[in-house]
Amino acid sequence: MSQEPIDAASHLVVRQASKRYGATTVLDRVDLAIRRGELVTLLGPSGCGKTTLLRLIAGLALPDAGTVAIAGRDVTRVPPHRRNVGVVFQNYALFPHLSVAGNVAFGLTVRRRPKADIARAVDKALALVHLDHLAARPISALSGGQQQRVALARALAVEPDVLLFDEALSALDRKLREEMQGEMRRILRDINATAIFVTHDQDEALTMSDRVAVMNGGRIEQLAEPRLIYQRPASLFTLNFVGLSTRISGTVVACDGGIVQVDTKVGRLAATGRFLAGSQVVVATRPEHLRPAAGATGNAVSGRVRAVVFQGSRSLVEVGAGGETLLAELPGQEAALLAPDAEIRLAWPVSETFAFPAPEMAA
Amino acid sequence: MTRPLAILFAWTMALGAALFLLAPLMVIAAASFSPTPVFDLPVGGASLRWYARIGQMDGFWPALSLSLQIAALSTALALALGTLAAIAIAQGRLPGAEAIGTFLVSPLMMPGLVLGIALLQYFRAMGFSAAWSALLLAHLVVTLPYVARTMIAGLSRFDFTLVEAARTLGCTYPGAILKVMVPALAPSFLTAGLFAFLASFDNYPVSIFLTDVRTKTLPIKMLQYIEEAPDPTLAALSTLILGATVILLVASDRLVGLHRMAGTGQ
Repeated sequence: MSQEPIDAASHLVVRQASKRYGATTVLDRVDLAIRRGELVTLLGPSGCGKTTLLRLIAGLALPDAGTVAIAGRDVTRVPPHRRNVGVVFQNYALFPHLSVAGNVAFGLTVRRRPKADIARAVDKALALVHLDHLAARPISALSGGQQQRVALARALAVEPDVLLFDEALSALDRKLREEMQGEMRRILRDINATAIFVTHDQDEALTMSDRVAVMNGGRIEQLAEPRLIYQRPASLFTLNFVGLSTRISGTVVACDGGIVQVDTKVGRLAATGRFLAGSQVVVATRPEHLRPAAGATGNAVSGRVRAVVFQGSRSLVEVGAGGETLLAELPGQEAALLAPDAEIRLAWPVSETFAFPAPEMAA
Repeated sequence: MTRPLAILFAWTMALGAALFLLAPLMVIAAASFSPTPVFDLPVGGASLRWYARIGQMDGFWPALSLSLQIAALSTALALALGTLAAIAIAQGRLPGAEAIGTFLVSPLMMPGLVLGIALLQYFRAMGFSAAWSALLLAHLVVTLPYVARTMIAGLSRFDFTLVEAARTLGCTYPGAILKVMVPALAPSFLTAGLFAFLASFDNYPVSIFLTDVRTKTLPIKMLQYIEEAPDPTLAALSTLILGATVILLVASDRLVGLHRMAGTGQ
């Protein structure tokens, strides 16, 4: 949909890559271009093709059509051991018969580097992930977070052109995961690594990456900075998959200068978008744009409070109106005043209201 | 009151069973030191004369050499073939993988005599009469199930992502198998190899149909001796084989742990 032009400065370029397993199309003509030093996340539900795309880049799977190029070299048919990519696997895939240092040294030993060089590179990689004191430990003696770091050090030690992370943080518990997200981002920044993360966790995608590729049904729906993915979703799927939203179906009655007027069950709403009059659309906005208001400009809907979900500094208020549900995120003290079933009028700006084509009814 | 009694009963039964299983071995070991030329317990003093006579038995060295050759070769072949088959089965992408696995292990459940006669007829029908090669093939059939069973079990716990990790770190596919899968599966290899070797080395019912006058394995030769001249030389030989087996088992235990080999725990 919103593909950027593939420029010469791109470090990793996937062009028109397709992959089928039997009758299932896992990847459907995917284009992806990543600059050197950029961190990109492939975000999507399971089965969207993100892991397959990662495996194509690593060389662990071959595309049925299309090409993969790394650092200006076409590697579509190059086996993984000659691609110089580093992969951190979901279960870390550490070698149980080797020590921490043995694991980190593995790639260099295979490359037959001199012993002194290997020792230096292992020390450097372990220092980077703060595990230099555990070099002699067996893998089985490490915690999950430490194993994760060893896996990262092992991938870093060979100085790969591209680092690939396959759901690398999903096995950690929430607190450790958040810590590792920050630390990993710092490490990757420090060494200016080009990296691709695969995840189904939107928080991980939004916090860690320079750009996010939202994938669905074997295609990239949107490739953009995290802020844009959230604030300007390019499709209904992205809107749904990333963050919370209010979604109201309706029919376009007028279109003028990029603003459509839509008739809905909760009244007439204005939204940005270009549609022919008569089109079926879904009007949507993010919960933080909704404010309690008396007669404000923009879109406004009256309804009844259905539930208030306390979330610490802010609360999520669910409002029922004409069979539709509105989600508003309000500061704690504002939400505390709302009783269940109370009347409330919510307003939000037209500039933060989007219209998407309504999904086909035949599922 | 009943609980201590039950425990006492259980211990008595366990000890009794162990004694029942080990008694013949202890008797044969004792008899091997007998100073008299009959199978007897050494009451009036011990002697090592029968050990000295082992090497002088008619046709002993060729029989031992043949048994070792066949056991070593069939074990090596079974390890290679059985592991490859187990990889195909354990990766699970093969249609009917489970059925193939069961089929591979099935000779274990077949009486050796049936297998021996069947192989004899089969080789005859094919016009295949070289005793040595026939023995090797037959022993491959005997040893392959041990290897297949152990390796399928070992591989089902093996994480094939390790092979992929090694490949992305610079290993070719065969290199990754050698550098990662083989060391990770070393205990399984040792177990499989040990069982296969022992199964081949002391096989009688299959071998008996495939030997000729010049090609006789050690177990067959030993039975022949006992018919011809039943003196304690055989007891001495049996004791040596027993000793070698115990050493092999202890060494394997030191390397990987016997409980893992018996399949009774992690």
